[in-house]
Amino acid sequence: MADLNVNGQVIALDEDGFLEDAGVWNEEVALALAATEDVSELTEDHWKVINYLRNYYEQFGVAPMIRKLCKETGYDLKKIYELFPSGPAKGACKIAGLLKPTGCV
Amino acid sequence: MSKEQARIPYEAKDLSVLRLAPVAVEDRPKAALELLGEMLKYKRSLRLYLDVCTHCGACAEQCHSYLGTKDPYNMPVARVELVRRVYKKFFAPGRSVFRAWEGAKDLDQETIDQWYKYFHQCNQCRRCAVFCPKGIDTAEVTIAMRELLAHLGLVTKFHAGIVKNMEKTGNNMGTPLPAIKDGLEFLEEELKEETGLDIPIPMDVERAEVLFNPSSSDLFTNTDGLMAVAKIFYKAGVSWTLSSRIAETANFGLFFHEPTMREHSRRLVQAGKELGVKRIVAGECGHGWRTWRMFTDTINGPLPFPVVHLFEEVLEYLRTGRIQFDKSKNPEVVTYHDPCNYARGGDLIEQPRELLRACVENFVEMTPTKQYSFCCGGGSGILMDEAMDLRVALGQPKAECVRATGAEILCAPCAICKAQLPVVMDHHKVDVRVKGLSDLMGLALIL
Repeated sequence: MADLNVNGQVIALDEDGFLEDAGVWNEEVALALAATEDVSELTEDHWKVINYLRNYYEQFGVAPMIRKLCKETGYDLKKIYELFPSGPAKGACKIAGLLKPTGCV
Repeated sequence: MSKEQARIPYEAKDLSVLRLAPVAVEDRPKAALELLGEMLKYKRSLRLYLDVCTHCGACAEQCHSYLGTKDPYNMPVARVELVRRVYKKFFAPGRSVFRAWEGAKDLDQETIDQWYKYFHQCNQCRRCAVFCPKGIDTAEVTIAMRELLAHLGLVTKFHAGIVKNMEKTGNNMGTPLPAIKDGLEFLEEELKEETGLDIPIPMDVERAEVLFNPSSSDLFTNTDGLMAVAKIFYKAGVSWTLSSRIAETANFGLFFHEPTMREHSRRLVQAGKELGVKRIVAGECGHGWRTWRMFTDTINGPLPFPVVHLFEEVLEYLRTGRIQFDKSKNPEVVTYHDPCNYARGGDLIEQPRELLRACVENFVEMTPTKQYSFCCGGGSGILMDEAMDLRVALGQPKAECVRATGAEILCAPCAICKAQLPVVMDHHKVDVRVKGLSDLMGLALIL
């Protein structure tokens, strides 16, 4: 996938459109990633999910269980899909700058 | 991206985890011929399948890949012909002058490209073998050809990534141990909230009766299933444990790389031996089950304990009255999807049905069913996002089977099926929820 251009800085993406280097993530990068996911605006609800994912990722190096994400943010899966149309593992993780969850998911 | 490109999985750039030296692109045709020659020496089934096909075509209309894509190369006979025509020219018995008349072909770069493409459009589901008068099992040819491609340096990015995760963490998702422990603690709290009981999900308990090996997606998306398993062991009064060494029944090595398959199996057996358990119980995963049941004793035996499937284990509890179900808890119409490797490679056809009839009120069979059932379209690890167009095409015949049942719940007790079927049903507009059998048993279990 084409790289992202964020304020003149080129951010490398992998073939699935996830960050090559999770370390370059910041809020502006999140906004640019959101545009690739057809999420036109990041609302307070979006940020609640993104911040939870980022905090978990920083502590454990991986995305949390989906069930835990729902419980801790207070959003059910339907709501998460409304916020991130391609779902928690793809859309939400991508915008939050996490590595792509893989396996039987 | 063109529609054709959208059907070809990305190639892995880094194959170091497979300990294979990549072959330079220009050297691939020569190397492929040597590899095929070597493989024919020790894989007698491959040689047999290349020799005995009569081109009768009985397989064509039985293959969901052909039915879903309408690509003639996806007829099993034509898929294997991509290898057979090379075999005829270089390796088959008889005089070479005759072989040229039978469509024999040089092995060139185009052939290798076709191999990569079409051996990743076969789900290794083995349905063709049920209908072939000569018993040709295309899955075995696909497994062999993916192995050959791996030796050329051609492995999908998705599969290579999973092997890397498995080596590093003991699970395909690459979840580090602290995250697994955090997740299990959370699920114990969820169980407490749901039942009011202290139902443990133990790890590394020495001399437990059972080592339960889940799919790692049970720790991410399919958590209802793992919680149900915890409830069942609790109610049956069986001491059980997970292992911190391995939490993965899905053995992707089976699909394309035998040494990886063997190592995955060895890791589980070692975990069982170290913990001193009485038996290993495998969670919901089709191909993983085929590996555990059919191959483990041969490649890593003799084993000091049996490897059984969760359904065999739970059926024993049910038949002996150690657990009971209240089927009124599952009043919906439920149909059952036979994972290919249960019904055509793992001897699990009636056991899940006996459990289903005990835990749901309205079980309906779909047509075709059991060993004739169609694949979900995700088999052999065709779960890549970039191949989504292919995945929904491969799943199309199954979608129609499910639609015809009118079921509200599709019970699909395999981690790959659980990842693939919601996508397929959504795409083909079949209004059904996908659940594991464990999930349904958990709902109906009388605690």
